[in-house]
Amino acid sequence: MFKSLLTGAALGLSALTMALPAHAEYPERSIQAVIPWGAGGATDNVMRSLTPYVEKELGGKFILNNRPGGTAVIGSTHVMQQRPNGYTVLLGAENPQLYKVLKLADFDYADFYPVNIIGQNVVVIAANADAPFNNMAELMAAAKANPDTLRMGSTGAGGLPSTVSAMINAVDELKVREVTFGGDGPGITALMGKHIDFMPLSLAAARELVRSGKLKALAVFATEETPELPGVEPITKSLPAIAEYLPWGPFWGAFVHKDTPDDVKQKLVDAYAKAVANPEFQGFLKNFGAQSLNLNGAEAEEFLKRWQSVTTWSMYKAKAIEISPDSVGIAKP
Amino acid sequence: MNKTDKMLVGERTFCVLLVLTSLVVFYLAYQISGFSSINSPGAFPIGVALVMIFSAVKIGVELIGKAKPDCSGWLDAFQQFRDTHFPRRTLVFGLLAVAYLAAIQWVSFYVSTFLFLVLSIVYLRKGRVLNAILIAAVLLVLIYLLFSLAFSVYLP
Amino acid sequence: MSDTLSYLLMAWSDPQLLMLTALGTFAGIYIGAIPGLSVTMAVSILVSFTFSWDVNDALALIVGIFIGGVYGGSRSAILLNIPGAPSSVATAFDGYPLAQQGEAGRAIGLSTVMSVVGGIVGTIMLASAAPLIGELALRFAPRDYFLVAAIGLLLVGSLAEGSLAKGIFAAGLGAVIGLVGMDPVTAQGRFTLGQVELMGGIHYVVLMIGLFGVAEAFYQLHNLDSPVVRQKVDKILPSFAMVLKFLPLSIRTSIIGVIVGVLPGVGGDIAALMAYDHAKRTVKNPSRPFGKGAYEGLVAPETANSAAVGGAYVPMLTLGMPGDAVTAVIIGALVVHGLNPGPMLMVENPHIFYFTVGNLLLANVFLMIFGLMGIKLFAKFVEMPKAVLIPLILVLCVVGTYSINSSMTEVYWMLGFGVLGYLLKIFGFQMGPIILGAILGPLMDTSYRQAMSSAGDNPVELLQGLVTSPLSLILSAAVVLILLGNTPLLKKLKSKLSPASARG
Repeated sequence: MFKSLLTGAALGLSALTMALPAHAEYPERSIQAVIPWGAGGATDNVMRSLTPYVEKELGGKFILNNRPGGTAVIGSTHVMQQRPNGYTVLLGAENPQLYKVLKLADFDYADFYPVNIIGQNVVVIAANADAPFNNMAELMAAAKANPDTLRMGSTGAGGLPSTVSAMINAVDELKVREVTFGGDGPGITALMGKHIDFMPLSLAAARELVRSGKLKALAVFATEETPELPGVEPITKSLPAIAEYLPWGPFWGAFVHKDTPDDVKQKLVDAYAKAVANPEFQGFLKNFGAQSLNLNGAEAEEFLKRWQSVTTWSMYKAKAIEISPDSVGIAKP
Repeated sequence: MNKTDKMLVGERTFCVLLVLTSLVVFYLAYQISGFSSINSPGAFPIGVALVMIFSAVKIGVELIGKAKPDCSGWLDAFQQFRDTHFPRRTLVFGLLAVAYLAAIQWVSFYVSTFLFLVLSIVYLRKGRVLNAILIAAVLLVLIYLLFSLAFSVYLP
Repeated sequence: MSDTLSYLLMAWSDPQLLMLTALGTFAGIYIGAIPGLSVTMAVSILVSFTFSWDVNDALALIVGIFIGGVYGGSRSAILLNIPGAPSSVATAFDGYPLAQQGEAGRAIGLSTVMSVVGGIVGTIMLASAAPLIGELALRFAPRDYFLVAAIGLLLVGSLAEGSLAKGIFAAGLGAVIGLVGMDPVTAQGRFTLGQVELMGGIHYVVLMIGLFGVAEAFYQLHNLDSPVVRQKVDKILPSFAMVLKFLPLSIRTSIIGVIVGVLPGVGGDIAALMAYDHAKRTVKNPSRPFGKGAYEGLVAPETANSAAVGGAYVPMLTLGMPGDAVTAVIIGALVVHGLNPGPMLMVENPHIFYFTVGNLLLANVFLMIFGLMGIKLFAKFVEMPKAVLIPLILVLCVVGTYSINSSMTEVYWMLGFGVLGYLLKIFGFQMGPIILGAILGPLMDTSYRQAMSSAGDNPVELLQGLVTSPLSLILSAAVVLILLGNTPLLKKLKSKLSPASARG
């Protein structure tokens, strides 16, 4: 009696496990979403705001998991190492596109499948409100009058300020002391306390301070004025040559392993596309000072390629990186 | 401090290890960027390593003048050290802990934790298996409620 | 004015907000008590969770968790010698000895009351002088952060019992562990031994859990058969006279807490250690010697880390800049809720400021209630047989470590640090300096590099900066004084002079 019960149970169980994959619809369990940046950062904010909409569209639950460290190398590597079944999603920013040239890791977003390029941030060059320069031309002039005396806030190799300054140096000369901070926050605090002279920042980080008059924006890193900062000149006004790199900005995206099954990819792509397009999330992005992109498929891959090419080649030209981008397979723009 | 203190068994060896450790740290710090600049990635680590070397040597100097421990030869010292600080109970518990950590990735967190708790409680108390199983089960339920449900920590 | 008052009382008068604050505080105490579960983590989960809520409801819950969580760390520090959070490391120094003498209940009672005192002082300072203190925080240049870190590291002198050299070595070791990972400037690996997993560094909570939790578990194996200490649970609430006696000290340490809490990147953990050091220097006749169960050694860190909460809110509310990791997440929460944290927040949404102040006070009231509840039950926890307690501690350490970054590698490291801590303990090393080094080493490294870069890699220019800025000058003087105080030279001088001049 007992034995037959046991065999019956075993049979039933094995039948169940065999039947499951055939019938179950993705997602049948919760999805682990890795945010390779710390809680409270810009990437974290965007992803935590977006995820509830994606959950609604996909009909599954996401477990958000911050795995910060090493310019997002740790979190991205983790996603790469997981099984490609669509149950581990990477919610990251632009950094992996620079890993190869900075020799931080030997992979980039080409090793992932872009589910959605959610949006990008506008960059502004900010200075303390009392700074002696009022626009980009005056800043450049001040830097040339006394080379290596102005202090620029930075967030380390591969961070936004050093990339922007590399682009400027690729077309002109901006010799400054680079003071590295742990992130936007401490850098902005130092900027307000006049311990540094200027810092390239994302609009999301700088807007409130510019609006309140604590900081002033010298230029927006674009070819035209941005509606969020009326009256601030585009950088091309003082540096026309930089236009070849524009439009440029740090971006956010959702990625899965390249070998994920196509039907799973498609489900994720559809869910993210709808979620990003949600008017409430669009309202959040606008309030956050970011531009919505909502790219997927070939468009997204094209975007990633262009971003990587433009950024790395300008860095190479400004001697911010040692190795030539084509040595790691990045074509000239 | 008080020089009349007796040296602990193995203290000299440990002190040598400290000096060696700090030398290794210095080597690793030097590897970062050498003495290239006052503001290089390796500058502060080299400073820390130097401080460690000096303090390790100072710890050694403090030992001079202390009475030697009562033991004859290396082997005896080692045995004394093991008996006082690593008796069998500590070793077995340590091994259980290592096995537990290794098992987490093979047989999942909950199974290995349950086994570890039952085994170690039974070993340390020398018996009362049922009670140990009960305790382990209660703790697992608590961990599940708190970590997996409330905090959505993804346990392996 | 009436607007201000109504904002202040908002959380007190609305039953729903009242309940959420209470819930948050209660949950916070237990989150804080478990090593590895942190307030930062709880708050960031709440950001997604409270996404569709009213912003006031979300903030009420968060404030409760923050206040409860910072206090909660003291529970496990007192009962098990495992600080629930880095800000409770100093609490363990005297709290655990008290528990071993059967006074766990009284220690928890005292730490509760003193946390509330610290919390209220912090909130009052936030309410009355936020813009002023915010401006003060902006004055701190990179070189001043360097000096603050140096002052912090000099605490080794008072943390290290016995040999100073051992304390310095331990702090150096901690600093090296803290430096593991990518260099913040060049992104080059340091002390990573070629391991990708180590590129992100070793979280200092991993180190803390190993050194305190696992090392303590191994240490306790020796006492397996000794009878457990019966806990006295009759006199839990400290008498009014006792609170009054500690009031001057607690106000001083609260001020330390607020000021340290305001500085971004320096938080309650360092505030608590500095306050402990301050108590050790200034209290001439503690109830028992420090490190052996002095009430003063419990009062100082507990007031300081609670007061640091008020401090951390200052830059967040006045400038939109985080004062610590938790307020960074709260800023994120405000953004998600469509508010724009920044200098204009006080002008455009003044209710957020006064609502937070009122809410902090309310959370402290709840802290008093919940903190004193169930102490008898908790004190019994220590009476649990060691044979059960020790495996439990180890499992908690594993889960706690894993939940920080979901990394098994860090769990292995944690166990390694445990064995290392056990060995160091055998040879008379203290755990406090290691943690101190791990927290302050990286801060000192980055601020040193920033200061050097700001001065164009020119040491002379850097020294000039130290002398010309009043703030830097004061801080440098403090460094020199403490340094002298730690060397035998000054002690000799002191003993020659009249005892009246012997003030730390």
